[in-house]
Amino acid sequence: MTDTLRQPASSLRRRGPRRRPWVGLLFVAPMLALFLVFRFLPVVGAFLLSLTDYRLSGRWTFVAVDNYTRLLQDDLFRQSLVVTLTYTVIFVPLTVLLSLGTAIMLQQVVWNRGFFRSVFFLPYVTSIVLAAVIWKWIYDAQDGLLNAVLGLVSVGPVDFLGQSGSVLASIAVTSAWKGFGYSMLILLAGLQAVPKSYLDAAMIDGAGSWQRFRYITLPQLRPVLFFVLVIETIGAFQVFDAMYVMTGGGPVRSSYSLVYLLYDSGFKYFDFGYASAIGLVLFLIVLIVSLVQRRLVGRDD
Amino acid sequence: MSSTLHTTVRRIAAPLTALVLAAALSSCGGDSGSSSTETKSVTLWMYPVIGDQAASDAYWQKVEKDFEAANSGIDLKLEMQPWANREEKVAAAFSGKKGPDVLLMIPDQIPQYVTNGSLEPVDDVVTPDKDKFLPAAIPGLTVEGKVYGAPIYHTVTSTMYNKTILTKAGITKPPETWDEIKAAAPKIKAAGFSTLDYSASPEASLNLNFYPLLWQAGGKVFADDGKSVAFNQAPGLAALTFLKSLWDEGGIPKSALSNGNTVADSPLGKGQVAMAFTSTPADAGTVAKTWGAANIEIGTPLTGQKQVGFGLPGGLVLNAASENKDAAKKFMSFMIQPPQLEALSKASGFYTPRTDVKAPAADATAAKFADALQYAFPGEPNPAARQVNSLLGVEIQAVLTGKKQPQQALDDAAKQANDLLSRQR
Repeated sequence: MTDTLRQPASSLRRRGPRRRPWVGLLFVAPMLALFLVFRFLPVVGAFLLSLTDYRLSGRWTFVAVDNYTRLLQDDLFRQSLVVTLTYTVIFVPLTVLLSLGTAIMLQQVVWNRGFFRSVFFLPYVTSIVLAAVIWKWIYDAQDGLLNAVLGLVSVGPVDFLGQSGSVLASIAVTSAWKGFGYSMLILLAGLQAVPKSYLDAAMIDGAGSWQRFRYITLPQLRPVLFFVLVIETIGAFQVFDAMYVMTGGGPVRSSYSLVYLLYDSGFKYFDFGYASAIGLVLFLIVLIVSLVQRRLVGRDD
Repeated sequence: MSSTLHTTVRRIAAPLTALVLAAALSSCGGDSGSSSTETKSVTLWMYPVIGDQAASDAYWQKVEKDFEAANSGIDLKLEMQPWANREEKVAAAFSGKKGPDVLLMIPDQIPQYVTNGSLEPVDDVVTPDKDKFLPAAIPGLTVEGKVYGAPIYHTVTSTMYNKTILTKAGITKPPETWDEIKAAAPKIKAAGFSTLDYSASPEASLNLNFYPLLWQAGGKVFADDGKSVAFNQAPGLAALTFLKSLWDEGGIPKSALSNGNTVADSPLGKGQVAMAFTSTPADAGTVAKTWGAANIEIGTPLTGQKQVGFGLPGGLVLNAASENKDAAKKFMSFMIQPPQLEALSKASGFYTPRTDVKAPAADATAAKFADALQYAFPGEPNPAARQVNSLLGVEIQAVLTGKKQPQQALDDAAKQANDLLSRQR
């Protein structure tokens, strides 16, 4: 058995290692080509576009960094940046804790594990627009489900989406409900990769369940946790659809995110150069935040 | 092993080769078709104006057949587009100097494309029949004195009442003016309902919300030259104050802040609001299912200082980059003739923009809406209309949520709007 497995490898080695990079490249080439065409080139295009005043007709003038200086002076940009950051601060911990909690819970489940896994993953494959519409009903100030429940304990009614104090948290809950399934699966896979022998050894040494989690599981989970953190942070910075559907950015722009501003600038006002500049600044912010996270959480990788 | 690899390569390569060949063949076919004969092609982007798919297909196929029969040498290419992402697609097509020869647009889309030089005037298409259109039809598609659209249908809005609620509140005569609404609001509230439907989401079009109130107060959104705004003058203040006092009294449902212009899941659709002032025939159809058709009453548009409603033409516009402008204009002229418009009206449920074509009113509701057509105002097209809509919508929210006084909010919006307008010139 082991022989048959090893044979192809050794026969490749005999043909000479120099051919191997080519083979490797051949395998990644389709993905690389797609990445270049659909990811990298658009970014370059967006950068070039951000240096111009590009009109709908295709006419454009080179304006150097005008779009960026305008961005720095734009109150709306500052406001939407604050909204996005606030949202991120609420959404990311919420989602990470929710997915970690569910993953840990699911790992304990023995009976019908596949079923429970699917149930929690289900929201992830529904459309965010549909989820947002339904959550909007749940939050409704007049006859929403949530207010009906609060009414039972004589609280409210609360206008969740109509107050600047609660609107971002309400949207974050919706997005977290919709999106935690993905991170949950990744964390679940991470949990299952934690060697059982470590946990058994710790148990024999007298470590309690919290200690085992804190000193064995969590450190082992770190690379996976880092990945989840980065993915969810990027997702948070890109928030748009839930806000578009649930509040239209209101009330009084309390849920008007950076991508919302980008969308309005590009597709409502046709200010393509400015929209591209917003996109690139967003890219830079996400890059910096990811690098900081890497230093803090993912330093071993 | 090498033979396995060989087979694998062949397995992958065969379909690929077929694909490449097919692509090459199809592009050849396209080329020879347009160059060998003198056929000119006109591409049309049409949207589901006719909601029913089968009826839509039938109508447009007949248009294609009839038009091509009457105009040999022109090949009409119909491309049905979804409403979804329409703005993005049109913008992208025009910015790439591509896009169809002819497409459907509504008044507020046109000015920005005119400013960008993407549209060609079509005065010569509509001039022969100019007197036969509704008052708002051609002005609604005109920018700076030039006509850019050939009207093919007309929409209308009017006031719609929930009779059940009015009866429960003990109101026998439905409120038709602002004063009557103010008088009715306490009674309706006492019966446990809201009085007036309103959409204050920044994504909602003010053409269906604040602007009709502004026009009814005798005001205008923009100054006559379009270079500054006029909504912060006395009529604007009157309209916003009316709205705010109604809001404070509980006359408008609280979810108005996040509600768009969809009826189905709105308080109006759910039978919690007594009346709406910019309902469409489609809205009447929707609420018929929840309230029951017998409980719907359609009135005429509201009266403040004036009686004004909203309704606009949908028009075919011509791409300035079209290579077959003459052929495209022939098609536009064909489309605005009575037979095409009558059939479109029947199939779509929209009204015809022509006064000499009377599509038979399907029922009493449709007839009531037809009465409102004479009060229809097509809005105030301006290249900055959408930005102004957004920023004024935000300030209206600030008033409703108590963050600003009406005059302050209007002045703040006016300042931003005027800055914007001065930048665009």
